[in-house]
Formats: sequence, C-alpha cells, structure tokens
Amino acid sequence: MTDRITRRGLVKGGTMLAGAAAGFGTFYGPWKHNRAYAQEGKPIKIGLTCDASGMYGASGRDELRGITMCIDEFNANGGVLGRKIEWITADTETNPATASRVAERFITREDCSILIGAIHSGVANAITQVAEKYGTIYLNSNSSAPTEAGENCSRIKFVWDGNGTNFTMSSVKAAVERVGKKWLLLTNDYVWGHETSDATRKLVEEAGGEIIDELLIPQNTRDFTSYLLKIQQISPEVVAPAVGGDDGKILRAQVAELGLDKQAAWVQSQQDWPDVWSAPDSIVGIFGTNWYHKLKLPGVDDFVKRWQARADADAIPVPGNVSYCGYTAMRETLRAIERAGSTNNIAIIKELEQLKIPAADRMQDYDAWMNPDTHHLQQTIYLARRNPNPVDDTDLYEIISASKPEDVIDPEEGKLCKLAPYEQIPTVDG
Amino acid sequence: MFNLIPFLINGLTLGLLFALIALGFMLIVGVMEQINLAHGSLFALGAYVAYALLGPPLPLPAGVGEWWAELPLGLRYVLALVVAPCIVGLLGILIEQGMRRTYGKDPLFGLLLTFGAAMVIEDVIRSIWGTRDYILPTPDAISGGFIALNLIWSTYRFFAAFAAFVFILLTWLLIERTRFGAVIKAGAHDSEMVRALGYDLAKLRIAVFAIGTMLAAAAGVIMAPIWGIRPHMGVDAVIPAFLIIVLGGVGSFWGAVIAGLMVGMVIGLTAAYASEWSLLSMYILLIVVVTFRARGLFGKKSILEA
Amino acid sequence: MQTPAHAGRLITPAMVGVALVLLTVPLWIAKVGLYQYIGVEILIWAIYALGFNLLLGTAGLPSFGHGAFFGIGAYAFGLTQFHVAANLWVCLLGGILAASLAGALVAGFVARRRGIYFAFLTIAFGQVFWFIAMKARNVTGGEDGLLPIARLPADFGIVSFDLTGNTALYFFVLALFLATVVALWRLTYSPFGRVLSAIRQSELRAAHLGYQVVLFKMLAFIVSAAFAGLAGSLFAMAQGGAFPEVMALHYSGYIVMMVLVGGGLVSFWGPVIGVVVFLLARDLLGAVTLTWMLWFGLLFVAVILFKPEGIAGVFQDLRRRFSRQPAAPAQPAARSTS
Repeated sequence: MTDRITRRGLVKGGTMLAGAAAGFGTFYGPWKHNRAYAQEGKPIKIGLTCDASGMYGASGRDELRGITMCIDEFNANGGVLGRKIEWITADTETNPATASRVAERFITREDCSILIGAIHSGVANAITQVAEKYGTIYLNSNSSAPTEAGENCSRIKFVWDGNGTNFTMSSVKAAVERVGKKWLLLTNDYVWGHETSDATRKLVEEAGGEIIDELLIPQNTRDFTSYLLKIQQISPEVVAPAVGGDDGKILRAQVAELGLDKQAAWVQSQQDWPDVWSAPDSIVGIFGTNWYHKLKLPGVDDFVKRWQARADADAIPVPGNVSYCGYTAMRETLRAIERAGSTNNIAIIKELEQLKIPAADRMQDYDAWMNPDTHHLQQTIYLARRNPNPVDDTDLYEIISASKPEDVIDPEEGKLCKLAPYEQIPTVDG
Repeated sequence: MFNLIPFLINGLTLGLLFALIALGFMLIVGVMEQINLAHGSLFALGAYVAYALLGPPLPLPAGVGEWWAELPLGLRYVLALVVAPCIVGLLGILIEQGMRRTYGKDPLFGLLLTFGAAMVIEDVIRSIWGTRDYILPTPDAISGGFIALNLIWSTYRFFAAFAAFVFILLTWLLIERTRFGAVIKAGAHDSEMVRALGYDLAKLRIAVFAIGTMLAAAAGVIMAPIWGIRPHMGVDAVIPAFLIIVLGGVGSFWGAVIAGLMVGMVIGLTAAYASEWSLLSMYILLIVVVTFRARGLFGKKSILEA
Repeated sequence: MQTPAHAGRLITPAMVGVALVLLTVPLWIAKVGLYQYIGVEILIWAIYALGFNLLLGTAGLPSFGHGAFFGIGAYAFGLTQFHVAANLWVCLLGGILAASLAGALVAGFVARRRGIYFAFLTIAFGQVFWFIAMKARNVTGGEDGLLPIARLPADFGIVSFDLTGNTALYFFVLALFLATVVALWRLTYSPFGRVLSAIRQSELRAAHLGYQVVLFKMLAFIVSAAFAGLAGSLFAMAQGGAFPEVMALHYSGYIVMMVLVGGGLVSFWGPVIGVVVFLLARDLLGAVTLTWMLWFGLLFVAVILFKPEGIAGVFQDLRRRFSRQPAAPAQPAARSTS
C-alpha cells in the first residue's frame, strides 16, 4: 500500500498538470466553444432502460442519475453535433419481459437511436434482442455477467462494467499467496454464480491452492445459518462467495454480525456502491470495484462535486461504481458520435470499437480500451475493504490495490463471442 | 453424528421463526376461514414502521422526532415491538372492513381482495421509503454472537426464536384458554348460533383480523434484523406462511406449529447436506404430504375447500 | 355465467366485430400513440387469459401457478428450434405439447383438490418449475435466458410469410387468437363446458349427477395449460428469448388480476378486456409515473369491492338497462354455496 502511494506520488506529480489539462479539454469536447443548438438539427433521443423497482431498483436509479448527469452536461455545452440530447426512461422492473416491451416502445414509438442501462443480465439480453433487430446501439452500463462478453455479445451492444472474472482475477492469485491455500467456495446456484466460482476455482488451482469444498446456495436463500455453521466446521483459510443480489446482502449482514470475517478471509467479486451504502456495517472481507469517489486521481473531486450539486433528497450523497459506469458509458458514446461526425449507427460502432481512454480522463489509474472483438471495455480493477480510518461518513472503502486491465483479462473472453458482420446490421441514423 | 447437533439446533430455531411468521396467517385462516394474502405486505410494513421508530429521527413537529431518537435503543426496541403491530393492526381493521363486503360470496373474492391489498401496500411502502434496503438497529444486548459447542452463533436468532415461542404461547392461550377464543372458534363453526347467543360477531371478527395482522407485523419486526428490510420482503413471508398452513392443515393451530418446525428442520438440514435443494425441499415436502394426507397433517374439513 | 345469446353458434357476431377491429389495428396504432409490439403482446396475453379463464371463470378453479406453463411453452419453443427443427409449426407444437404434458403432470396432483388446497398446490408447482428453469441453466440458460430465439417464417408450402417484423407477427398472432376464440367459445358452451360450470357451482352436486368430476377438472387444466403454452411460444418469438421470470409468483398473479378486472367470471370476453386494460394502463401510466402499479392495485381492489363482475359486468348491466326485454334475473357473480 505505502509502496503504491510513493510510486504513484512521483508519477502523479509529474502528470498531474498535464492530466488535468487533458481531462478538462477532452471533457468539454473536441469543439472549442459553446455552440447554440443548430436550428435545424432535430434532437438526438436516448432511451434509458433502467430498473426503478425489483431487486436492482436502487442501483437502477443510481445509474439513471449518472447517465442523466452526463447528458445534462453535454446539453449545457451545446449538445452533440450541435443537436440537443433528449432522454426518456421507463421502469424495466428488473424483468426481461418488461424490458423487451420498453425497448420496443423506445425504438418504435419514441424514435430512440441509442438505448442505455442494465444491471441484470437477463434484462440486458432481452433488450439486446430487440435492439439488434432494429440496429439500435445498446450500452450495457452495469451488468457484470461474463456471458455479456461471451455468447451473448452483439455488434450493437457495448459492455462498460468489469465482469465477474475480471474481479476474480484481480483478487485470487494474491490471496492464495498472501492469505492461504485452503479455499471454500460459496456459489449462488445460477449462471453468474457458477461462472464466477468456476473462474475462481481455476485461478486458485493454478496458483497452487486447493478448493476444499463448494456449497451451493439456491437463489432467494434468506437464512445462511446452516451454511455459516458448516463453514465454521470446515474451517477454510479463505472463503470465496459468489453470491449476488439480495442473497448476497443478507449473507454479508449475517457474516458481519457474527464476526466470521475475522476467522477466515472473505474474498468477493464486485460490490455495487448502492448496496454497500445501504448496509455499511456489512462490509466483509475484500471485494472488487471499478471506481471509488475518493480515488486521488484527476477529475474525481470535480466529478463528485458536480454530482453533489445536483443530488436530490433520495440520491446517495456521492457517486459510486454504478453511477460512474452509467456516466462514462454515456460520455464515451456521445464523444464517439462527435468524433464520427454522424449519428449513423455503424459509424458510431466503429468509433467505439477503437475506443481508448487515457487514465486521467477516465478517473482510473490505468488507461482503458474497448476490446473490438467482444465490445467489452477493459479497465482498471480495484480491490477494496472496509476503511478502518474513514475521513467522513462516505469514506467506506480502503482501496488496497489497483490492477491493470491487461493483467485481469478474462481468458475465456471472446471464445464464444460471434459478432454479426456490419452488413447485417440495419442502418439507424438518429 | 456430533456434527449433526448444531444443524438440529439451527433447524429448531428456524422452525420457531417460521411458525411465528405463519402464526398471524394461521389465526385468520383457521378462525375466520379467510386467506389473507396481504399477510406478507403487513409483515413488511411492520418492519418498516419499526425502522421508522428505531432509525433516523422522524420529521415530526416540535422536535418530537429528535426527542424520541435520543431515548435508549433498548427501550425504543421494546416499544417498537408493541407499537408497530398496533399501527399495522389499524390497517388490518381497515382491510377487514373491505373484506366484509365479500363474506357472503365466493371465498375467492376475499383472497383476491387481500391480493390487491398486498400490492397496494407494497407500492405505498415503495413510495414512502423508496426501493433501497434498510438495516434495523438492534440493542447491543441481543446483537452479535456467542460461542457454544466451539462455534459462533447469532445471539439475536435465539432471542428471536424465544420471542417466537412467547408469541406462539400467547396465541394459544388466547384461543384455547379465554372466553374470547372460545367464542371465536364457535363463530367459525356456527355463526348463527353464536349471534343468537347475543355475541356481536362482527366486532369479534374485527378483533381476530386485527390480532392476526398484528402478529404478522410483530413477525416482521422480529425477522427484520435477520432478513434485512426491502419492499418485496413480504413475499419471503407469505409463501412459507401459506405453505405451512396447507402442510399443517387448515384450521389447526398445532398443525401450523408442527408444520413450521418441520419446514425449519427440512430447510436447515438440507442446507447442510444437500444445499442446492434447500429451498425446493419445502415444496417437495408439501407435495408429498398433501398427496398422501389430502388435508395436510391435521387439517379439518373447512369451507375453504368448497 | 348466464348463457349468452349466440352460445350455440360457431362464429358469433361479436367475434366478427372483434376480428374486423383487430385487423385494422396496424393502420391506426401509431396514430393513437402506441406501437405495434404492444398489439402483439396484448394478443398473446389474450390467448393466455382466455385459456386461463376456462379454468377460473368456467370451472371455478383458481390456479396461481399458471405462469409455469406459459414459461414452459416459451422454453420448449426455443429448445425445439435449437435441437429438433427450425420449423415454425414443429416448434409451436413442441411448445404446446410440453406445456400440456406439464399440465397433465400437475393436474394429476391437484385435480382432486379444491379451494385453498388446489390454489396452493398450483403455487407450489409454479415455484418448482421456476426453480428447475433457473437450476437447469445448461438447458435453459438460467437467468441469462434462452437465446436467441428466431421468428421463424410461417411456411404454408405454397407461400411463406416472414414474421420478423412486428406487423407480420401481429397478423400471425391475430390468426391464432381468432382460432383460440372460436375453439374456446365452442368448448365453453359445449356439454364439456356445461359440466365445468356445474362443477364451479357445486362439485358435490356434479359428482352426484354422475359426472367424473376429477377427470373433467384434469382435462380443463390440461387444455388451459396447452393454451398457456401456445401463448408462451408466441411470446418467445416476440421477445427473441425465453426467461424464467414469467414463471414467478407475481406474474401468475397478474393473469388472475387481469381476468378478474376484465370480468372473466361473468363473460367470455372478460379476459380479453382485462388484458387490454392492464397492458395499456401499464404502458401509458408507466410512461408517466413510476407508481402506476399502485393505481392499478387500487383499481383492482375497487373492482373486487364494488363490482366483482368486472368491466364486462358493467357492460352487461348497461346492456340490460337499455334492452327492451324484461329485466333478467341478477347475474350470480359467485357460486352458490352448497
């Protein structure tokens, strides 16, 4: 940790000014002056397919705030290509059937040329099926299922969050070396849980560790006592839970209450800021995130201040990974439209496929780039744990490491992904 | 074999908790022969009201909210355990007034009315408190863990199981050992006779429904620290409650208690030895039992079957 | 339900009227601020609801787990497409058959029961099927869904229609909807349907009259599951995938609500009305407020309290008031207690 600070301190000092300037410049766009909306340009319409209820309702609302913040900022600076950006939203209810209908409505009735927003992989897939039919670009801002960059990838879809495997890769090797070799897997019995645990298993075994047991947890489990008793009996050195959604929140609360995270190390995948915020005492072990509001990086403080300036009573006081992903996904796409000089979907897709974002601009430690074969953004992955010395009420994390995107690439990524050729995509010009 | 004991103990505590959750539902079904699908939402509402009482200060006039928040947590917790059910009980009375219109008709209507009420309550909760999760603060005395048999156990769970036991006992006493209980049971059997004897059956029905909903809310307050508070938490209560009633047999108090214990045991033990089937096991249990004993374990013939 | 005027006919004037109106929908749907997909969705749910009402409205059996058959139809359609033959008719058949078989299995357990036991067992089975859909992720794709399900062309040998566009799919679903209407109308007012009505009024009496009550209940269940399966298959085509959420409890609750609000207990067309009202309210109100479900829930409660006969019941009252015939006896909205 102290290592990182000294090293980074040197690098930071030198690039701070340059980075700030570059960040400021690229944020405010390639154009040099505010432009009034072109009189004849019709607005660009964006459909925000965010959950407002159901299991991911809280995260969906957070994501919405990030996305709309970005849109408002662009509009305050003349929009994109001189055109105003309009957005609409409807509750996708964390439900794929609802999401299909919302996507159809946004595309066929509301003439949206871009859709953005997702947390649940089923919802993201339902929207992708619809968007693909029409050629509408879809930005999967927050679903971290590995299948999004695998068999469920699509030429019109771009994935902006790190997936379960990326997070696992950043944590497992180090944990085997520094903490212990005897691991226990807790696997939520659905696709995401199994994929994450399978990745963990492979990495543990490669690093010389051993999986001494794997307990399967059905979805909607509310009571973890039996599992916790079993874990105590088995006595592993490391517990790696791949438990998400409500089940994960309840598990962490029950573990924290018993102080079980002191007996064994708990090494988890990504945790979403809205979930952590609602239960700060349930922060257990180490976990992943792709961003934190107290990172000492250019642009972060300003971003947080802008968020706070517009936060309403229900909003979380500071942005987190979910709103960050929403914001940056929207931002990069709008910039891509500017660079492409057109709202033709193929042109935008080609721009996004070549996307490279410098670290300072990205508010992360390392440069990020889009994998053109899977449409999955490769970015810095952080590991964090509960902050023993918070500076204020929002300082819940202590960031303990930052991994370069190239070190945590999912080895399975792209093996099952087949992107349709450009010619097969219907043309959309928003 | 020794390894089994912690799981048996856990199954027992889990069973008591399930029996508590099913208790209010059982009372209304068994005594009034009405299925209250709003049970889950009332359970959730109880937890939310408790959170309002135990969480951040309420925006009440004259600083009442701040004054209340200054009181010791233990005191507030005990009061919440009493006050939250009372508030929810008032809502229960309101629902009963609505159910009144459906008494003479198809029991299906009563069921559907409570289903509608459940949805409305859940959406009202979402409008007031939002979609996020909340944690219910609990007094230190009953939080944390203790060590027994070389394992760490949750103090609160045992408190909750004890509280469940107390509520079950009180309910039993009410039904079996008071005049009130006797009249209610008689009313379920033969309402005309009871009315002929001069009892105001309508008032009694209100009382039973109120008590049933109060028990649902009490269960919500007690389960909140274990399950967390979120708008759709009611579903986690109403499904097991329904299952336990059918398994134990409609109209049977002991059926509900024993069925609750069975469900707790089955889930607790399968979680330890065949974890992936732990939740499915209670449905399999139900299907098996009802296939061989059509009315559940101790069920009596009831109008709900017609 | 009182027997409507044209019960004996195969095709009634109402059917023709409805068909004509529905045929013109693509012409005006965008002008009223809607979009073609919702038309497809409404017709699919209408098929589901009509089949469901055979069980609820006609036979008086409240199934709260019917979403399972809808979902099974969707998955079976997809699986047939991937593993058997990418032919529309084969896949539809696969969806219907799978749902019917599942229906037969469940019916075996629930047909003997009534009331609360019947209802709860259907919930239990619904949960079991949902659980299987999530767990058998290698077959169903789990929460990611079974993808991608293609809209196969309607190939009649001499001519083939491409169904990838929403309008073309709409007409195809409309044809199946009309076929469903004719079939269910015939079934409801046939001797079979009469027995179901008798069972709704009093199972005991029907049994004493010599009918094999359990067998009739089983058949009603299987038929309604088959229609749910057909609807599910069409939905898989519409969405381009099959997901487990349709099997969840509150989705099964929606169909009960829709059928009731529409007036399925007293009218054959009630379920269709209910579906239209529910889906339109959801789309229109949902665009305006995030708490639309609250308002619909209140509407539902109001209907139960004040007019359990639903919207169709209101129409019937109006018609009676304006008709020149002497007042007909009040519709029995509930079964008479035995």
